[in-house]
Amino acid sequence: MPSEQTLSYTLVITGAPYASQAPQTALEFARAAVAAGHGIERVFLYGDGVYLASTLNCPPSDEPNWTRAWSEFLETGGIPGIACIASALRRGIVDESEQQRYQLSACNLATPFALAGLGEWVEGLTRSSRVMYFHGGA
Amino acid sequence: MSVLIVIDQAPYGNWSGRETLDMAFALAAFDQPVSLLFRGAGVNWLRAGQDGATLQQKTVERNLSAAPVFGVEALMADAASLGRYRLDPDGMLAGVTVVDAAAELYRQFQHVVSL
Repeated sequence: MPSEQTLSYTLVITGAPYASQAPQTALEFARAAVAAGHGIERVFLYGDGVYLASTLNCPPSDEPNWTRAWSEFLETGGIPGIACIASALRRGIVDESEQQRYQLSACNLATPFALAGLGEWVEGLTRSSRVMYFHGGA
Repeated sequence: MSVLIVIDQAPYGNWSGRETLDMAFALAAFDQPVSLLFRGAGVNWLRAGQDGATLQQKTVERNLSAAPVFGVEALMADAASLGRYRLDPDGMLAGVTVVDAAAELYRQFQHVVSL
């Protein structure tokens, strides 16, 4: 048996839902880690991964809604979900304050995600016992 | 904590290289030791004399020239990849260390990040 040490994880998702498997694989990993007694310290969306935080994702009713699934997981566990603000603004993922700042016609950041800088990722690297990356693949 | 950021895709074809570079700059800005390794098609980032005007993009050469200013500890290039893409020191940005991208190199870092 491996040791019973509990670990804290930062998960970095860089692949978009419906274009890659990354958000689903990350969610399965996160559920398994929590079930095994480990902690997810934070989830950081970067690059195309920020598309996961769009509340406007609207898949057909017989397909999973990864944005909703992730939102529920984060809210249940009280886990911070952060979308990189630079990646998000480039790709049209906007919260209310950025909508006002750039005078855009709408905002679409799903609850409970927040926009913040790469400093949140750096903090994850320094504080978590492990950092896992979920990429979209080439 | 020491971090190695790896760029293994050619510049300009997608945005992931620029976003990878931003990760390196963020680490440096927060005073975390970080080095950059270019390997595979990524060594093309290091070509001197790039012109991004027709692409309406800042050249990655210009982005990279800021690396020492930000506090990135080392710019490294994989020797075999340089050979594959016919890059020699005369045709490259200054200040690049040529290395073998092998297990011993990666083992020197606590985190290795490649998008």
